[in-house]
Amino acid sequence: VSEAVDSVHNEGVAARLGLALGITFTICFLTGLYSHFAQHPSWGFQLPSRPAGLYRVTQGVHVVTGLASIPLLFAKLWSVYPRLFRWPPVTSVAHAIERIAIFPLVAGAIFMVFTGLANINLWYPWRFNFPDTHFRTAWIVMGALAIHIGAKISTTRAAFRRTAAPRAVVTERRQFLATAFGMSALVALFTAGQTLRPLARLALLAPRRPDVGPQGFPVNATAKETGVIALARSPSYRFTVDGKVERTMAFTLAELRALPQHSATLPITCVEGWSTNQRWTGVRVRDLLNMGGAARHARARVQSFQPYGSYTVSELDNWQTHDPDTLLALQVNGEDLALDHGYPLRLIAPNRPGVMQTKWVKTLTVL
Amino acid sequence: MGEDAHRLVTDDEPNHVGLAVGLVIGLPMIGFGVVEILRHTDATPLPNYLEFFVGGDIAHDALIAPIAALVAYCVLRRVPAVGRGPLRAFLFGAVIVIAIAWPGIRMYGRMRAPDNATVQPLDYATATLTVVGVVGVIAIMWFIGALLAARRPRDRSQGFPSSDP
Repeated sequence: VSEAVDSVHNEGVAARLGLALGITFTICFLTGLYSHFAQHPSWGFQLPSRPAGLYRVTQGVHVVTGLASIPLLFAKLWSVYPRLFRWPPVTSVAHAIERIAIFPLVAGAIFMVFTGLANINLWYPWRFNFPDTHFRTAWIVMGALAIHIGAKISTTRAAFRRTAAPRAVVTERRQFLATAFGMSALVALFTAGQTLRPLARLALLAPRRPDVGPQGFPVNATAKETGVIALARSPSYRFTVDGKVERTMAFTLAELRALPQHSATLPITCVEGWSTNQRWTGVRVRDLLNMGGAARHARARVQSFQPYGSYTVSELDNWQTHDPDTLLALQVNGEDLALDHGYPLRLIAPNRPGVMQTKWVKTLTVL
Repeated sequence: MGEDAHRLVTDDEPNHVGLAVGLVIGLPMIGFGVVEILRHTDATPLPNYLEFFVGGDIAHDALIAPIAALVAYCVLRRVPAVGRGPLRAFLFGAVIVIAIAWPGIRMYGRMRAPDNATVQPLDYATATLTVVGVVGVIAIMWFIGALLAARRPRDRSQGFPSSDP
């Protein structure tokens, strides 16, 4: 009995869980990089406007994969826990380097899943900036993972070879692996519904439901929280197009409604992982640029009248600006936008993080 | 061969070539992350960052894992082999589900955004119990299946050899 209970502390078990975690962490890292560059274009990266739902897929995969990693991570740590107490702790210089690299790997992995889980729940029990710190720590974890994979490559290969063991021991290990992988699948099943509509009713562990909120979908920042209620309802509201245009233009709400309207079904995708497709109607940004006489490859900056809070401004690159579905929306699903969704005017464009779909728009500045 | 399969996780000498390749790839990545954190201590105050970075590891090694070891020693060891897998699956699954649901159960997000009814819109205590219940049902079905399999007469001899893991 003792042997079977202890049998999960085994190289074969650790190798299989390690391989799975290597895959899930790499997926999270790559999708996280994409999200980072989508929000902070740098190193020449320009966010493509197509496919329209690409960011929805990458960010949904990022969050669900991160959550599904939690059972795998703790099962893996359990399988190698006795190593912590081995004596002597190191046997050679190479071994010492490998052991040292385990600390940033384990501490960083726990840090990443904890901060990620807290962030999707809008829970911030720390003082650091979440996106910046999560992004930078991801590099530390992936670097440590590269060292760990290199150091353990022979051990892992050997562990995957089929060897003999008493049936009870093999059964115990298989049961442990089935538990870890099964729980990983269950966590994915009970959270993926915040972005996969057919699974919405199963999203019991997800902090959002894609069908709950004003006009049938969630919001991140409310009108009350951002202090825009009076400004949004003001009869003196004007929307302005300025910057590198032949003529600066200003529109009342009625004038905006009188412009040619275009409808598009586009996702709104939150960086916290929830997303939903809605039917938006409004004025094409490229039509406004043409009216103002902007250059053919112009970029644009969209500014909110939101007096405080994050994400009051966002930029549209050349592709986004000229995409026929990039709209300054006045309506969603045939109704005027709710205050919380950005009334009277909000940006909605294909393949963009939700924090860059600026609400309560005041100015479009051509760059 | 049998000895290999019985081997606990050991501190084997690392693959030197693999380690060298890993260091060439990994060190610049670690360096980038560390330098970026040190360059932006306004966004990432170091003491607070280290509190969470190191604290999570300590919490695991000094608290979570010892509790798991205690449960394995006091509970799993005393359970007949046929019920050990399902019981471990239930305990592990329940803890994971509660941990993931904890911010929802405590409504941390709603406390931060009290005007936003779309944040944590469910009764997460009930939702968590439901998911733990699903894990429990799966564990019971597993236990019944294992019990029936154990009672079935075997046409093969017990045990040796079988394949790893």
